[in-house]
Amino acid sequence: MRNGLLVVAAVVVVAGIAVARLGVTPAAGRAEAYTAPRTADGKPDLNGVWQAFSTANYDLQAHPARAAMALRPAPTRTEPGGLGRATPADLPAAPVRALGAVGGVPAGPGVVEGNEIPYQSWAAARKKENFDDWLTRDPEIKCYLPGVPRATYMPYPFQILESTNTILIAYEFAGATRTIHMEDAGSSPSDTWMGWSRGHWEGDTLVVDVTSFNDQTWFDRAGNFHSDALHVVERYTPVSPYHLMYEATIEDPKVFTRPWKISLPLYRRYEKDAAILEYKCVEFVEELLYGQVGIRDPGAEQTHK
Amino acid sequence: MKRVSVLCLGALAPAMLLVWLLPASPAAQDPATAKAETANAWTPSRTPWGDPDLQGVWRYEATMPLERPKNLAGKTLLTDEEVAQRDAVEREQEAKRLAGEEGTAVGRQSVADSPIRGNEYNSFWQDHGRPRKVYNRTSLIVEPPDGRLPFTPDAQKAEARSAARYGVGPYESYLDPDTGERCLTDGVTALMWQGPNGGHNRIVQSPGYVTILHEEYRDRRIIPVDGRPHGSIRQWFGDAVARWDRNTLVVDTINFADKTNYEWANVWTRPSETLHLVERFTRSDAETIDYEITVEDPTTFTKPWKAVIPITRLPDKTEIYEYACHEGNYAMANLLSGARAERGGR
Amino acid sequence: MKTTPMRTLAGVLAGAGLLCVAASAAAHHAFAAEFDAKKPLKLRGTVARMEWINPHTWIHLDVKTAGGKVERWMIEGGPPNALYRRGFTKDSLPVGAEIVVEGFRSKDGSLRGNGRDITFADGRKLFLGSSGTGAPGEKPGAPAR
Repeated sequence: MRNGLLVVAAVVVVAGIAVARLGVTPAAGRAEAYTAPRTADGKPDLNGVWQAFSTANYDLQAHPARAAMALRPAPTRTEPGGLGRATPADLPAAPVRALGAVGGVPAGPGVVEGNEIPYQSWAAARKKENFDDWLTRDPEIKCYLPGVPRATYMPYPFQILESTNTILIAYEFAGATRTIHMEDAGSSPSDTWMGWSRGHWEGDTLVVDVTSFNDQTWFDRAGNFHSDALHVVERYTPVSPYHLMYEATIEDPKVFTRPWKISLPLYRRYEKDAAILEYKCVEFVEELLYGQVGIRDPGAEQTHK
Repeated sequence: MKRVSVLCLGALAPAMLLVWLLPASPAAQDPATAKAETANAWTPSRTPWGDPDLQGVWRYEATMPLERPKNLAGKTLLTDEEVAQRDAVEREQEAKRLAGEEGTAVGRQSVADSPIRGNEYNSFWQDHGRPRKVYNRTSLIVEPPDGRLPFTPDAQKAEARSAARYGVGPYESYLDPDTGERCLTDGVTALMWQGPNGGHNRIVQSPGYVTILHEEYRDRRIIPVDGRPHGSIRQWFGDAVARWDRNTLVVDTINFADKTNYEWANVWTRPSETLHLVERFTRSDAETIDYEITVEDPTTFTKPWKAVIPITRLPDKTEIYEYACHEGNYAMANLLSGARAERGGR
Repeated sequence: MKTTPMRTLAGVLAGAGLLCVAASAAAHHAFAAEFDAKKPLKLRGTVARMEWINPHTWIHLDVKTAGGKVERWMIEGGPPNALYRRGFTKDSLPVGAEIVVEGFRSKDGSLRGNGRDITFADGRKLFLGSSGTGAPGEKPGAPAR
């Protein structure tokens, strides 16, 4: 009888160890103690092709689905519902109408901690103008460099390439590349679209401090913007072999009343021979930017063929 | 963006990269011999995972032109005396540029002779603070033995057309400027040794990859060295895979997209679907990569050609800076509106 | 060997078509299409803003006309990166600096030109010498880069 109990106890112990060894998939929000593998020189290995799957690039804040990124706003309602005829909702503006549902904006829970972007009052008005005038103002449309953190959560993969004292983040969109200086940080001689990045390790987390931005980029397609005083601190934390948790703290004393933070997961593109490809979009937009400027308009000639 | 400007007092075709031939120090050797000797003498450093280390910021800083000038036909090497003379002039003019001199003192034409061509901007914009090295070879091209690009008849005509229209036009739409003026790219073929801002390349290695960041147009090549096969998508930069052959990185690039219908400042850099590049990178000492490129493309050349190019390592803290060309391409709108104004359209 | 005076040698080399500076030209892209060689300009003004971009910097220059009005000109410069690598930064030509620009006017008649020759208003040359490249043989005192 005692032998039977011992056997049962042993089985329970062995089973318990087996379960512990399986490890636990990190539940959302829980800080699991995952330790990333190491590179040959002992640093956390974040090498690979990664991509965000998020609606952050549409709108950092929580939002329901929208008909388009460029809207013809619904007319102001003057009567309580039902007492007059039906009126239109927010619908696509004429230039994007032909895209139909392809041009719509999916709903998203937002990635901003507290869901508030703390604009100064002049800046809140500017953000609204940007949103209303998206088609002429969003630099993404013109294939301009996306800035940080927007490059991280655009719907294109990027690749982290770790060397000994330099880490490259190579984005597919517009061939943007960031050099993360891990030693000998240096400084930027001018203001740039992608900023100047200095990185260091905190445990398994890659922390990147980015400054020397110009004021040209947006954070998303909803018109969220910054000045040349922008300062971003990113954190890339491996939480499983296939996930990084990405956080970015955004500070800009000319535009916001306090720092604010976003966070979202990044997913490893682990299919065989994963690679980032070319998205050289400059020639996709030349017609848009210059078609009307020259003597000839090649686009017009094509449609008249 | 542009072809390298050749500020010549002689009548040299601007269509090619014609660096001038100036004497080097008498100690200069035929680089091929030098390579054979030093390859045995220098032990290459290795990355932490054991690959030969090619990392750093690199640039072609010598005076050899791509093609042997016509007036040096048949002459493969300069004499030691010629090399020494040219080296002295090179150093003297470098010192003068740093001192703020302009015009003929720094090897340009005088402004009186040509206020524009070669004198568009002060020389301080271009000076790299480093005199160029003089080698005794008269061309970078070693095959074919005449040191000239073996163009097909159509490609020869295309190159002549490109040279004739350069800066002249017509510029009626955004299609008319060349790929560099459109802020697209100047292509892969000359990426390791040319560029309108000096042609700087940063090589970064990580396990399974060699990445080359070219400063101009922020051109980028992420080259897998992990044994994978070529992909199937055609791109401006093709599809590159590499392997290590002892201490030499051998890169094979195919699957270029057909971009022959664009204007190219240098027709010999244009990709077509039949372009095939084989490159060899060998670090022969701490400061030098011996770079070889074999270019095969029946669309543009009658036979493959090969160039051997010494690439120099720049100081450790040298940076590659952001190249936001398209973002600030005022020149495109300006040249289109200028052409329109000339036509009387404004 | 016979010593040849440098000027004569240069003349010989020049005659043979060999004395060519291969300056990496960000320059004459479509210069002739943008600017008019028949419309030289000389301006004196203060820097209102400078765009340190590639392949051309652009200087926004406030120029006082004879009538006392201030005109805003855009002047195209060369590429900035060689300057960066010699230690210069955007602060090296700051807002408010007074400069003299000689060059050519844009073809479309707008207040734009190229800055073929740019100097400080007091005659000092811009971006003189090397602030340090860390290159071998660097003069001491130059900041290491």
